[in-house]
Amino acid sequence: MALPLKYNIRNIIVRKGSTLSTAFTIGLTVAVFLMVMALARGIDMTLSSSGEPLNMIVLREGSTAELNSSLSRENFNDLMFLDGVEREADKPLASGELVTLIYKARKGMTQGSNVNVRGVGPNSFKLRTGFQTVAGRLFQPGLTEAVVSKRIAERFQGLDIGDKFRIQTTDYTVVGLFDSAGKAFESEIWVDINSLASTTKRDGYSSVLMRVKDSNALTALSKRITDDPKLHLKAVSERTFYEDQQGTASGALKGLAVFISFIMAVGAGFAGMNTMYAAVARRTKEIGTLRVLGFSRLSILVAFLLESIAIAVIGAVIGIIIALPLNFVSTGTSNWVTFSEIAFNFKVTFDLMLFALIFGGVIGFVGSLLPSIRASRFKIVDALRA
Amino acid sequence: MKFAKLIFKNILRNKRRTLLTISSLVVSLFLIICLATILTEFDRGTNEASPLRLVARHSVSLTFPLPMAHLQKIKSVPGVKDAMPFSWFGGIYKDEKNFFANFAVDAGKLKGIMNELKMSDAEWQAFTSDKQGAIVGKKLVMLYGFTPGQRITLKSPIYNADVEFIIRGVYSGSDEKTLYFHHEYLNDLLPEGRKDMSGMFTILANTPEDVPRVAQAFDSMTINTDAPTKTESEREFALSFQTMMGGMKTFLYAIMAAITFSLLLVMGNTMAMTVRERTKEVGTLKAIGFQRGTITALFLGESLIVACIGAAIGVAGAALLFRSFDLSLYIPNFISFVPTNETLAIAFGLAILVGFVSVVYSAYRVSGLTIAEALRSTE
Repeated sequence: MALPLKYNIRNIIVRKGSTLSTAFTIGLTVAVFLMVMALARGIDMTLSSSGEPLNMIVLREGSTAELNSSLSRENFNDLMFLDGVEREADKPLASGELVTLIYKARKGMTQGSNVNVRGVGPNSFKLRTGFQTVAGRLFQPGLTEAVVSKRIAERFQGLDIGDKFRIQTTDYTVVGLFDSAGKAFESEIWVDINSLASTTKRDGYSSVLMRVKDSNALTALSKRITDDPKLHLKAVSERTFYEDQQGTASGALKGLAVFISFIMAVGAGFAGMNTMYAAVARRTKEIGTLRVLGFSRLSILVAFLLESIAIAVIGAVIGIIIALPLNFVSTGTSNWVTFSEIAFNFKVTFDLMLFALIFGGVIGFVGSLLPSIRASRFKIVDALRA
Repeated sequence: MKFAKLIFKNILRNKRRTLLTISSLVVSLFLIICLATILTEFDRGTNEASPLRLVARHSVSLTFPLPMAHLQKIKSVPGVKDAMPFSWFGGIYKDEKNFFANFAVDAGKLKGIMNELKMSDAEWQAFTSDKQGAIVGKKLVMLYGFTPGQRITLKSPIYNADVEFIIRGVYSGSDEKTLYFHHEYLNDLLPEGRKDMSGMFTILANTPEDVPRVAQAFDSMTINTDAPTKTESEREFALSFQTMMGGMKTFLYAIMAAITFSLLLVMGNTMAMTVRERTKEVGTLKAIGFQRGTITALFLGESLIVACIGAAIGVAGAALLFRSFDLSLYIPNFISFVPTNETLAIAFGLAILVGFVSVVYSAYRVSGLTIAEALRSTE
């Protein structure tokens, strides 16, 4: 026969000071776990949402990022007329793009970070979804004008509409702000490719982005390009290209999250054990009475375990409530693959919250196992005499 | 002091509870020390920057190289003692996982400009006289077993080149996870159009006072050239890398605050339980003439001793562990992973503070009860 849940609930309420502080300890552990994981998740989601499923990106063989890649104009011409490349109005949907970095100071600081500048053509907009100008207007082809991601304009000095920034010896004027539904381009500045090519005196491209007809064409085409010994190029799906950056960008954070939350959980577990041992000691007589009334050892064990798990889950909920507002926090760090700023939102996702609840429950269970076993092993006579 | 025995008896009365409390303290302190050590590493670049050195880079960003011709301009600036090219090669040894920094420098000038690198004269001689030579830090030897005379190949995505070097020396001091090689050697391998460029210049000033003047003078010399520069003290330059990480520092401080707060809850809860359980005893003590202050002091002493033991184990444990086992070998970009004495002292102090704060309220409250109230307690 199981003890009624009301018994546990009343006990939790009676010891509210002790319950709350134990719950909070577990809550803080869960909150810290969520904070660090939400940061890693924010980076991951930004990168994983950035690639279109049927887009393929071509880089120079051996390069790890667009920044250290280069393709010639001939390369581009060869690539866009390959079989399997999608066409629109009989023109291939392909875009040669040029990438460079500018160093800008963060708002309110003397130092800053690198921001990716992308030289784009008309097809660049067709190949990506979600791009929209939210203020001002788009740059005019041929002019040294730029559109800046809204997030970047908010984080760095001198990138608002009307401001000028310098690439090599040319000044570019910011004429508009854009966003792109949380994708990686939201950490970039876009300018006209021809202007950027003449500014940086580069003839050719950093990368070529193209739309393929279907997923089979993607596999076949990327193999064909990568394996061609004369080309010295490599082609991957745009999705893979961005997802491959996740490890470098968020791997360390995930490691940190596991390390910190594990140690904090051990500390919280010890604290929970103390609380439960005290609870068991105080209720020794009560336990004796329950046993006399016919409740089995097992139901005593289960009752104490449930009580502790309940406290822990309350704690986890507190932790989630502490961490949830992070969803509204936008932040940024350096993506060491691209050597430039990546702006993103913390993401306290549903699966993270679910994991946090289970994590809290496990701390509660492990912490209360020994005290509960102890409670279930009291001899009735001894317990009543305590 | 005459109550020391009583305090110790009380601590040992519930051995399991004391042990659990101490364990909780130990792991929390260990974690705080770890995080503080990460923060120390973040700041190392700025804290250990040479007050005499400057770094010049392209004013647009590090990705634009500077012409070697700039070197002559630098040398003409008053206050400059010496200068050399300094290029991030980005070479990968066998696998991308084996990340370590590698720079092309002027081998003949490295010793004079970066005097924190320590190596025998014979090794310096061997390095400078072999154009294909490279020197590696002590920790790279520990990680990859490099030996003098060994040929190694680094693959650089930036320069699109596989380059073979011969190890000519092992240095110690400063960042021991870096490889330096001859800039000239790199230059020879590059195609026309990419030759005679350097990613950065490292400049050595005569005095620390010269540093800001040199930066300004050189930048104004290049402002109207194809490659305008941004020259900063080494400290400022290191700070720019720290700033690239964004809010990481604030983030770590927030985590440390959360850990401290949870430690306070743990200790506070334990001490509150302890005090409450002894309410009746407090009545007895009062009945035989103990003052409120003395009773509070007894509880305070108990909590402080527990905190001290936990702090001592946590601090000594972390210090011993990280001094005998250098974690930095396995963390890219970390020069060392040893908690500073300051970190250890602060962690210790924090534990004592927690020990104090966690008991003071409940001890004060219970000791303020009247004898009758205390004796009537049902706890």
